Parts: sequence; structure tokens; C-alpha cells
Amino acid sequence: MNRLVKDNILKGITYIASALSVIVLAAILWYLVSNGLSLISSDLIVGDYYATTENAAISNDYIYDESAIGEYTGEGYYSAKWGIALEDITTAHNDEEISVVYVDPNSPFMHMNSLVSGEDGMALSLTEGSSIQNIYYLDEAGETVFLSRVKMADAQNTIAVLDANATGIVSINYESIGGGIRGSIFATLYLIGISLLISLPIGISSAIYLHEYASKNKINSLIRQGIDTLTGVPSIVYGLMGVTVLFPVTQLAGATSTSILLGGLTLAIMLLPTIIRSTEEALIVVPQSLRDGSLSLGATKSQTIFKVVLPCAVNGILTGVLLGIGRVIGESAALVYTTSTVINDNPTILSQGTSLSLMIWSIMSGEQPNYELASAISLIILVIVFAINFIVKIIGKRLAKSFV
Amino acid sequence: MLIDKKRVKRNKALDKFFRGFFMAMAILSSSFIVIIVLFVCAKGISPFLPGYEYGQVDLISFLTGSIYRQDQGIYGVGFIIINTLISAFLALVISFPLSVLTALFIAKIAPKKLSAAMQSVVELLAAVPSVVYGVFASGVITGVVEWIASLFGITTFGGSSLLAVVLLLAIMIFPTLTSMSITAIRAVDPNLEQASLALGATKTQTNFKICLTAAKSGIFAGAILGLGRAYGEATAVAMVAGNKLFGPTFNPFDITRTLTSTMLAGLKETTGLDYDIRFSVGLVLIVVIFFSNWILNMVKKRIGRNSVA
Repeated sequence: MNRLVKDNILKGITYIASALSVIVLAAILWYLVSNGLSLISSDLIVGDYYATTENAAISNDYIYDESAIGEYTGEGYYSAKWGIALEDITTAHNDEEISVVYVDPNSPFMHMNSLVSGEDGMALSLTEGSSIQNIYYLDEAGETVFLSRVKMADAQNTIAVLDANATGIVSINYESIGGGIRGSIFATLYLIGISLLISLPIGISSAIYLHEYASKNKINSLIRQGIDTLTGVPSIVYGLMGVTVLFPVTQLAGATSTSILLGGLTLAIMLLPTIIRSTEEALIVVPQSLRDGSLSLGATKSQTIFKVVLPCAVNGILTGVLLGIGRVIGESAALVYTTSTVINDNPTILSQGTSLSLMIWSIMSGEQPNYELASAISLIILVIVFAINFIVKIIGKRLAKSFV
Repeated sequence: MLIDKKRVKRNKALDKFFRGFFMAMAILSSSFIVIIVLFVCAKGISPFLPGYEYGQVDLISFLTGSIYRQDQGIYGVGFIIINTLISAFLALVISFPLSVLTALFIAKIAPKKLSAAMQSVVELLAAVPSVVYGVFASGVITGVVEWIASLFGITTFGGSSLLAVVLLLAIMIFPTLTSMSITAIRAVDPNLEQASLALGATKTQTNFKICLTAAKSGIFAGAILGLGRAYGEATAVAMVAGNKLFGPTFNPFDITRTLTSTMLAGLKETTGLDYDIRFSVGLVLIVVIFFSNWILNMVKKRIGRNSVA
């Protein structure tokens, strides 16, 4: 009896220990969802990170006609007089703003010219999602009145003032919404492309050598040890290596500073152990009889590898690719030195920029951390990484069955 | 049968070429580790050599110093090394028992479905990128630390503290430790377990006394891997470390500074001593990891002597 009690206590302890890890995972997900889910929208994904300010005047050839402006029944406060609907929002940068939800096609706000010097009166129209900073309008006496951001107060008041006092619109100052992650998504895709393009051929070839050719001797075990040691190198050290060793390589390609190309090359080396291991695991599963069959039919060794062994190992290589993508998406420390932490809305391969993970680091390590945006990006990353994990598991199951 | 001699010759040449190509790629892959160590060494050592362009730094005071102030040009990483060792070790102390118990639960105790579900939980925790753990740490763990500190009547720097770093690292190394332990426990010879059961031990006694003992070598290997990860963890740790200017830090509620958080602090400059000294810190990190692994592997050999798996 005593023994039974003791056993149950010990068992209970393992239940508690396991429950703790479930609690931690749940806490992470709960925190990210409660902070970030509300931010996730198409605006977040396609939007710029930096808000741009526009200053525009109603164009001279626009003739105002109140009867031409249509009805609107959606959200927000609508001015049937000026054809604009506004609402109060909190931006990804945590500011209170008055945002445009709808602009009628015949509204004066759709027919404007830029006042910003250098833009040469470029035609502009107020886009939905912009936040209004101030408006100049004409009152009944024909005087120009300045409606500042402070006087606007909120969306409802702005519409009320415009409806009651304005007889014409002169110009408007507005900001396109910021806090978007489009640039970082592109940078991440570039990084994935560059790193896989380089590490796949090197990694697969290495795995083929190690498994198909290498006999057990000192040199080969040294090669294997070198690759295994790469796994244990902290990612921040890869970053250090990137700026010293690989920077000159990117200079040949025309890079003048740290760049996404440099980040991609650094990650390519980081991915090598992953790619090599998953390829090798797939090669191990390919039955020896297939190789023997091909060789006895007169095929050379390299023909056997390319036409028999590799097609059988395709699932394993795919696993390596997926794990590699997951790693690139999640990597931050190695990129801090190599792609810089400057968020870039229009990254190119030779420009600086941040991947999604690095963007999180960038907005969290500043003076005012932006927890909401960081949580939203984290949530996006987690969904992708968990999906990759799921697919890898399915492939693994298929791989195990394929030659039984 | 006709044999096209030219074709045979060409195929043979191609065969030779590919063999050489694959071998070259394998050598290239494994030479990166040498390149990494060589270049980080070369750049990391340069500030200590005479004739260094930004003013030579004294190696001894660098390695033993207890103040790190870039603004005053004082670089001492002695206390940072101690901080790094303390935080990684404490994280292991917290995470090790929990992960071994969880591994035992998954491998031996849990019903089949629950075991599979728990294994997925561990895999998901392993897949969470470190920067996401960092967001979680600065949002939740710092709050927990502040709350604990308030129970003792202590105020913290917004929760950034040694304790926050330790808790964060404990969570981050947990999946590594657990999955290595699961592998080790599953590899235990079933004959051993059956012998134990036949001698009248209960299933639970067998699990705790036989399986864990037989698997200890593999479990210890997981601990070594976990420690390595804890030393090298950068972005997440830097978010909650607080970067203290002097030390070492022993008070769990005080801010701390690790080697990696030092390397990530203030990345404005791209040349000069402040930039080069990061390589020296990186080199120290490599050396710390190397020596820690070396010592632990010796300990592992000693432990593993009477172990089976």
C-alpha cells in the first residue's frame, strides 16, 4: 500500500512537470493573441512601415456639386456634404488618429494636387486608411479657416464642423497609415531565396558525398566532425563571421553596406547542417538493393545517384528545405550584423532591411517598445513556423512508410 | 552487343567529375567552421595587439575587468563571463528536472494519445523562434518577476533582471533537454526493465530507478547541448537583461549583462574599437562554450561509465 502511494506521487510529479510546459505554450499563445490579433489585417500585411505625409490642395478644375455626392451607409461618421466618412482609430504606432474610411468618387478630396515641393502638383486622391492631420476650409464669409488636429478633436466633431461651417475645401494634410510589414515580408522572402539557392546545392552534394562515397577514414570523419560542429555555433557568431568573411563577397556584387544579400549568404552557411542532415537521413532510407540494381544494369555511380537515389530522397530534401525556411524566418541574431536593423519598406537584394523576426527585434529594442505590433508579427511567424512543423511531420511519416 | 566506347569513356569521366565535385562541396561545408573560428579570432585578437589603430587594449584587464563602459572606453568582460555562466547554469538547474520528468512522462508513463499530444507540445516549443520568446519574456516574464519582487518589497527595473533571463533561458532550453532525454529513455534496453519488473519492482519504480539511471548519459548529453544554447542565446536575452555596466550580478532582481547582450548593445558604429571589441566578446563566447563543453564531456564520460544507453 505504501508503495502504491509512493508510485502515485512520483507519477503525479511527472504529470505536473508536463503540465507546466503546456501552460508555458498556452501563455505564449494567449499573450500574442490578446496583444496582436486585433492588429492583423490586410493593411498590416501590405502596408508601409513608415507613414508618409501628404499635403494637397483641391485642384483648380474641380467644380463642387453637392448633389453629385452619393449616400454612404457603412461604418464611421459620414458627411453627405463633402462625401467623406471618418472614424477614430489607434494606429500600430499606438497613436490616436482620425482615419478615413470612405471617400465618395465625386468628393473634392478625390480631386487634389500635391503641394509638396518637388512633386510638381502631382494628382492625388485621399485614400481610405489615411489619417487626417489638418484641413483648411472656407467659411461663409469666404475666409480661409485652419482646422488643426487639436480643433478636430475626433471624427464626429470633424464631420460636424465641416458640415456646419465649411463652404469649400482649400487643402488637407494627411498621413498614410504606417506600421505595415510589407517590406519585411519581401526581405524575408529574399533571404529565404538567397540562402536556399546557395545552401541547397552545397548541402545536398555534401550529404551525397558523406553517405554515398565517403569510406571510413580519418579525413572523412574530420569532414563530418566539422559539419557537426557547425550545429553548435551560436547564431550571433555566424553574424560576426558574415560581416568579416562574406562582406567582401557582397562587395563584388556591388553592395556598399551590409545588405540582404549578406544576410542571405550568412544564413546559407547556417542552414548547411540542417540541409545535410535531412538529406542524409533520406539517403539512409533508400534501400541498397535499388543502388545495386542500377549499378548491375550498367549505370555509373553518378548516374545511379542522380536517376535512382536522389528521386527517392526527394521527401528528405523537401524536409530540409522546409526546416531551412523555418529557420530563416525565425532567425534574428545572425542578421543584426549582416542586414542591419533598419526597417526598409522597399528592400532590394543589395539594400539594408529587416526580416520579420529582425523587425520584431528592431521595434522591441528601441526607446519605446511596440508590444502590439511585435505580438502581431510574432503571431504571423508562429503560424508559418507551426504549419511548417506540421508538414514536416507528415512528410516524415510518409518517408518512414515509403520503403516498407 | 555493341558498346559505344566513346560513351563509356565520357560516362567514366563524368563519374569522376561528380565524385570530385561532391567531395569538394563536403570539404567546403566542413571548412566553414575553420573559417568562422579563424576570422573571429583574427578580428577579436586585434585590439590586444601592439600597434592597433584605435589604441591597444590590455588583454588582462579585458578578461578580468568588472566594468564595461563603451562611453568611457573601459572594456572589462570578466564579470560578464561570470554573469553568462550564472544565468545559463541557473536556467539548467530549473529546466533539467522538469524536462527529465516530462521526458519520462512522454516516453513511459503517459497514455498513448496524451504522450503524442505532449510530444507535439514539446516540438512546438522547440519551433518558437527566439525573438518571439523575447517578446513573451518582455511582456509576461518581466511582469511575473516584478510581481515576485513586489512580494519581497523590492522594486525592479521594469522586470528586466537576472531572474527574468534565467526563467527565459529555462523555457528556451526545455525543448532541447526534453527531446534528448526522450531519445535516451526510449533507447534503454527493454531487457533491463523486464529484469527489474521480474524482480518485483513496480512499473513506476522501474521507470525512475532503472530507465533514468540507464539513460543518464544521453540525458547529460542533452544538458550539454542545452547549456550551449543558453550561452549563445542572443536577441531574446538582450530584451530582458538590462545591460548593467558593472558586476557581476548575484541578486536575482538586479539587471545583468551577458556576453551576447553585450554584443548586441548599441550597434550604431561600423568601425572603430567599439565595433572590433564585439569580435573579442564573440571570441570569449566561443571559448566559454568550448571549455564548458570540454569539461562537461569529461564529467559525462565519468558518469557514463556504468551507464548502458
